Order: sequence, then structure tokens, then C-alpha cells
Amino acid sequence: MSVTRRDFIKRSAALTAASYVGMNLPIGQHNVAQAVDADKWVRGTCRLCGAGCRLEMGVKNGRPVALRGVPKARTNYGYLCMKGMLFYKIMQHPDRLVKPLYREKKNQPFREVSWDQALDIAAKGFADSVKKFGSDSTAYYGSGQCQTEETYIFQKVMRGGLQTNNVEGNPRLCMASAVGGYLTSFGADEPIGGYDNIERSYCIFIIGSNMAEAHPVIFRRVMRRKLDNPDKVKIINADPRISPTSRIADMHMQFRPGTDLALMNAMAYVILEEKLYNQKFLDDYCVFRVGKDKKQVNMAAFKESLEKYTPEKAARTCGGNITAEDIRTAARWFAKSQGTLSMWCMGINQRKQGVWANNLIHNLHILTGQLCKPGADSLSMTGQPNACGGVREGGGLCHILPGHRLVKKEKLRNQVEDAWGIPRGRIPPKPGYHTMAMFQAVNEKKIRAIWINCTSPAQSLPNVTPYRKGLQSDDVFVVCTDIFPTKTTECANLILPTAFHFEKTGVYGCTERRSQITPKAVDAPGEAMPEVWIVREWALKLAKELNDPVIAKCVEPFLGKEPDCELPEAVWDEYTQKVTKGRDNDLRGATYEVLKSMDDGVQWPAPTKEFALTGGTVMKFVRGSDPMAETLAKDDKPYQFYGPAHADKKLWVWLRPYVGADEEPDAEYPLYLSTGRIIDHWHTTSMTGRVPELLRANPYSYVEINPKDAARMGVKPNDMVEIESRRGRVEMPAKVVEGPIEGMVFAYWHDMHEDRMINKVCKDAYDPGSKEPEFKICACRVRRISGPRALKPYITTLNG
Amino acid sequence: MPIGGFVVNAQPEFVNEVAGELSDIDDVEVYGFDEKGNIVAVIDSESSTIMEAQVKKIEGLDSVLTVGVAYLHAEDEVEKIENGELVIDNPFQNRKKH
Ligand code: SF4
Repeated sequence: MSVTRRDFIKRSAALTAASYVGMNLPIGQHNVAQAVDADKWVRGTCRLCGAGCRLEMGVKNGRPVALRGVPKARTNYGYLCMKGMLFYKIMQHPDRLVKPLYREKKNQPFREVSWDQALDIAAKGFADSVKKFGSDSTAYYGSGQCQTEETYIFQKVMRGGLQTNNVEGNPRLCMASAVGGYLTSFGADEPIGGYDNIERSYCIFIIGSNMAEAHPVIFRRVMRRKLDNPDKVKIINADPRISPTSRIADMHMQFRPGTDLALMNAMAYVILEEKLYNQKFLDDYCVFRVGKDKKQVNMAAFKESLEKYTPEKAARTCGGNITAEDIRTAARWFAKSQGTLSMWCMGINQRKQGVWANNLIHNLHILTGQLCKPGADSLSMTGQPNACGGVREGGGLCHILPGHRLVKKEKLRNQVEDAWGIPRGRIPPKPGYHTMAMFQAVNEKKIRAIWINCTSPAQSLPNVTPYRKGLQSDDVFVVCTDIFPTKTTECANLILPTAFHFEKTGVYGCTERRSQITPKAVDAPGEAMPEVWIVREWALKLAKELNDPVIAKCVEPFLGKEPDCELPEAVWDEYTQKVTKGRDNDLRGATYEVLKSMDDGVQWPAPTKEFALTGGTVMKFVRGSDPMAETLAKDDKPYQFYGPAHADKKLWVWLRPYVGADEEPDAEYPLYLSTGRIIDHWHTTSMTGRVPELLRANPYSYVEINPKDAARMGVKPNDMVEIESRRGRVEMPAKVVEGPIEGMVFAYWHDMHEDRMINKVCKDAYDPGSKEPEFKICACRVRRISGPRALKPYITTLNG
Repeated sequence: MPIGGFVVNAQPEFVNEVAGELSDIDDVEVYGFDEKGNIVAVIDSESSTIMEAQVKKIEGLDSVLTVGVAYLHAEDEVEKIENGELVIDNPFQNRKKH
């Protein structure tokens, strides 16, 4: 590259960055779009977290040459993080799976097979299982990283074709409690508002989320809001761990793990005691409920239930640095601000009391009327890019059908059967196995054939060791679709190579009900194919094996479509036009044509194209913003809570007592263990671990230990320590840091190395409502085993 | 030889110092900053490995709150990978090709 061209690109890079912050640089305004002579720029969504950042990939001679943010996108306004920027390296990696691979027994090496052979093997494996052990001996386990079209077509073939509801996905491990919380508090899944409230809020309550690392671009918006309004905007960060997120907080409330239920009940106590609640909002829109039978009670009963949560008592329960005065101040900031926004993530969801913890956040918003107005929202952040769009909306969990329909309701099953043109009664009435039960059923050989798509449960399940046994057994036929070898492909009989993001077309739905398309920009390597094609071809072969024309009927509308664009569009059209019609996630207006024309995408409900082209519904339930608040209105009030789960069309304030973690520390295991994500890595590192820059930044997991605990245990920085629980042990280096509260250690979970895989130590207790496991809290002990040791990073190869 | 355009956010009261510290890092050129703590910088490095290392250095500075990427040009690196001049750095040995 000549010096002049290089200089030109540098200036363009600077001008692009400067344009984001409205800075005029003294170097002349070039047309930055011309900086790279790319053949085309293809607009899509980042693949590497749930923020939903929009970016454009510059393609030249069929390969990616540049990336830039999309400044008009209402998710990221052009900003990206380094993880998002480096994902093009994943596409070109030499480890990419490029041919179908098969082995009959799991101790054999894989051999290459043709697609035709591979699909025959997959069809025969599932058909044999159905014939010998029945439909419920088969299962699909998907991912919040699959595109909506993929989740939708897989679950259609499983439910309508194979007649089983054994359809699950890894969002059970991260989002299920948020779903439970929204349904039980607001009557409808997914947030009322979205990121749009960040710039309009005056109090931001961040709890159980290190968003500076987990959602860096959204954190940037929160940071900007605070820095631009240092005196007007208050940030409260509540977390047992001080993290980079705490750096912008006015108040960091550091509590003993699991005691946040007491903390939030105490905030509610203050709101009642000081009459900070919004009586009109309560009168118009809310009821109080208690217990399994959802008994309605009055406000006095609610007040009585809070009596044991005086700020003084709660401060003692919470421990850490929390004082009664802090709780009072936080409650006042929350209640009195012009708009309060709560944001949380796995610290709240991955808990045995996950649904209750969600309810208690919503309680604070309902009591104070901090909903449905500018800057006010109760916003659960999503971890994965399509947990909301694909799995929650597209029918990717064992108890829900697409369009937020419950499996157990016959009328709703019939609606889906009619839309699919298959006989009524075809979808079984019984929900399938939820995730932890599914892998238990694999262990018990109740499931004999399982298809695992785009995720790695052999690493990501809590207390993972016992759950691997079934997957490793030759009695269970395991198919994996993925782009790289993982700990789970080590357990596979058949590995099918798939096209990656930007190598196929599909839609992702991010945190804020926003669906965004990513079109194909480059060819997939080798013989890798889009999942929608794989499922269609597999279903046709299954229909023959089982001599069941209804299976073929499930993919009939998609026959003859080319796999990269036409096929996913046909799947999306069926899903949106026939299945979301009239549901609260009505996406009929969000056609491919509309989505492609948008810088970002469409927030549902968006029943018509005209409305979708405006961007859709910014604030659900609000007349003037949400078209369904008009069509489903039951009175003339400005807010209409029409959610399908609450027949009374009210918001519910729940009486939920503080209950601790499933496993609290004791004499034998005296410390709390919590786990989480580091900025550079995504989940199990099957992708980011293969980007050397990201790997080098954090080559292996480590554990953070509070300096006081470290001194007591004689642990010095970088010493090797053993972390042991009742379930397993790992060894990793220690970082001594004022991060976790005293009495708690925090380990990063991305590492694939067997010695450092912290999920062997975590507990598999789960929330009785959401069935989401308690990754965030268990009891452990930590022991120094040596001084610093040179460690090698590890990524699994094809044969383990 | 990738080129990246960045917005670095510093605590506003320390933006001057941070801009100075950035200029001292190899390959980093500061194009401007403002009183809100925004610093526009370009990293022009030999490889994306070096760029990531420089970003880590910036993230590690005391008064830096976030580092946002606006633009990345990587054509030269992609070309080199395709021509076989640059092998994607692979820290894992004995990789089985298939
Ligand atoms: S914040 Fe998430 S979606 Fe945005 S660029 Fe980073 S990884 Fe991608």
C-alpha cells in the first residue's frame, strides 16, 4: 500500500471516529465511505453478544477486508468493541469444519462422508430411535446464537414432524429466569422499552451485571449519559463484586451473594415507609399477589410482608459495605428520579431464586410507576445475540411454541398446527425435557438421539462432569452442527459443518425486541452449509425412513429454494406472516425487504410494513407508541397491559421473601464461588479462543480473590490455587484484587482446559419455575498449591 | 497492517493527560479530544495482534473508561493470509488438518 493511500485510510478512520462524537478534526472532510475500495459493504449484526451492534463488512473479491460500525443504528450508534471487530478472523480460521464427518463408535476417528451420506446417517439415527424407543427418545438442543429461521425450522420438524417437544436451547442457562420474571410481573415476555431509555434516564440501577465487560457498547451509552450529566444522573451499581462497571457509579452496593432479594425488599420497604410510591399508577394498573396460587392481596398485606426488611435488618443480612442509609438513599433516587432504568444480566438470572429476583426488580418499578415513560424501564440485558429473537420468540424451549405460545394450551397448539397445515393433535400436549432434565435423560438413556446445534453443553452445563456421561455413551446417537470442534463435538457421531455469520442470511433479535437481518456477504468455506438447508434435507430423508408424509409436509413450503437467501426468507415469511400474526410479537411488517432497508431493524410489535419502517414499537403497552395498545385496548387509559399471561391485564406486585442460595458456605466449604465472562471471550472460547489476539489477552481462566481472603490463605498474586466444591475441583492462577466481596471468589468460565473448567465445580441446582441453574453461587474452598506456573492455553482439536 | 479508528473515553478531568499518554504508545496517533473526555485516535500497526496489545494498554490506563472501535481496515492482512505470506498465528500445536 502506498504511503498516500495509507495516510488516506488513517484520516478516514480518524474522521469516522470523530463523526461519532461530533468532533471536527482539522484534516478536511473526506468521504469516508471511499476510504476502502471495497466492492460492497454488507450491513449486518455483530455475532458476539446480545447488545445487537450493527456493523458493515467491506467485501473485496469475495473476502472481508474492512469493518465499520453503523452510525445510525439505534443499538450502537456506530460503536463496536474489539471482540466484535475481530470476528472476521474466525471466518478464515484453518480449524473451520469444512466437511461432514462421521464415526460409528465414539472411540473411533472421524472419517469424511458426503452430505448425502451424512444426511442419510442423521435420518436413520433419529428414525431408529423413534422406531425403537418412541418420539420422545429424540431431542434437539439449540442456541441463542442460531438465527431465528434456524431455531424455527428445527423446532417445526421436531414438534410437527417427529412429534416431540424435546426442543431446548442454551438460553435456558442464561435467560429463562428473565422470561419467568417478565411473564409473572408484566404478563408478557421481554422488556417494555429498550436502550432508548438510557439517554432519557435520571437514575440507572445496574444489578448483577458487569456490563463494562459483558456489553461494552451499551455500557458506553450509560457512561456517556452519566458523564454528560454528572449532577443530574445517579448510577447505582449493586453487585457482590466491584468490577469495571463500578467506575462510573455514584454508589456501589456490595452485598453478600444471594442477599439481593433482601436488599430489594428493603428498598420496597423504604418506598412504602416514605410514601414514595405512585398511588395513581398502582390504582390504575396493578394488583398484589402471593404464593403458588397467585392469591390477590391488598397493599397492607404487602406492607406487612416487608416488615422484616427494614433497612437496618437488610443491611445486616447483605453484609459488605451496605448501610441502612445507603438503602434509603438508593430507594429515594430510584423512586424520585424523572425516569429510572434498571439493567441486569446473569447475576440475577442464573440463580435458584432467579425468577423471584427478577420479580423484585419489577416490583420497584411497578410501585413507583417507573415504567412506560421516558427513561423508565426494567430492562433485562440478553447475553446471546438471538436468545430473545430465536429461542424466546421462535419456539426454542420445551414449553413454548413460536409466537410466545404455551405448549400445554390446546387452542394455541391448534393455531400453530393450522398455520403449518398439519393435522390437529400432531404437536404433543406435554412439554419436553428442560435443559438439565434433558441431559439427565440422555444419561438415563431415555433420550437416544440428540441434535446439538451451535453450542457446547459438554462444557457449558453446571456440574458438567456427570452430564457428559450420556453424551459419551455409544448408546446415544449425537449429531453436532458447528463451525469449529468443541468439547461437545468430542462426543459426536456425526459432525455437520455449518456456514457462519455473514456466510448465510438470517435474523437476530437482540435485548430490546429488535429484529435485525444479516445477509450473506461471503461464501462459506469448503462444504459448510446453512442449517436451514441441512434441516430441510434431513426432514425429507426422515419422512422416507419413517414413512411419514407429515414430516415432509413440515418442509414442503421450502422446497426448491436456494439455501443462502431464498430459503431463509421463505422460513422467515412463514414464521412472521402466519405464526406471529396477532401475537404480542407480531412481526408481519418486518419482511426481509423492510429489514434490509433499515440501518438497524424493527422492534415488535410491528404488524404492518408502514409501521415497521418507522422502526416499530419503542415502548410496549403505551398508546401512541404500540399499535397493539390500541387494537387490544380494554379501556381509555394511556397504558394497556395486554400481555397474554395475565387475564386481568394488570401488572402484578409479588410478595417474595428473601431466600438464600441453594448451597451456602459452611465449615467445610467456607467461600462463595461465582463465575462470569471476561471482555475478550465469548462463552466456551470455541470462537474467540481461535482469535490469537483475544486469546493472548486472556489465555486461560483465573480466579479473583479478595486481598483479605488471600492474606488469610497465604495466596500471593499469580500463585496456583485449587478451587474445590462437593462436585469437582480445578486449578488456576489467582489474581488478588479488590473485586469480589470478602468471603467470595470469582472465576472466569471460558477456559476449555479440563484442569481449569470451572463448570465442573458449579452447582446444578435450578430455579423451580424457570429451570435455570444457579451458576452464580455455590460453596467452595480454595487452597494454594504452588507459586506461579507457566500455563499453556488450550483449545480442543477434532479428536479431543 | 491493519488501521483502526477509535474513540477512547477518559474521565473528562484527565482527558489531557490521557491524550498525552496515548501519544506515547507506539503506533497510536491522537487526532483530537474534547472536554467530554472523548479522544479520537488511530492505531496503525504491523498486525492485528499488535493492535489488540495496544488497545489492552489503553484499556489499562487509570483514567480510561471505555475504548470503542469505529472502523477497522484489514485488507492488507487478509491479502497476506490468502497469499500465504501470513499464517494465522496459532498457539496450539499438533493441529489436525481435515
Ligand atoms: S458489544 Fe457485543 S454486539 Fe457490540 S461489538 Fe461488542 S461483542 Fe459485538
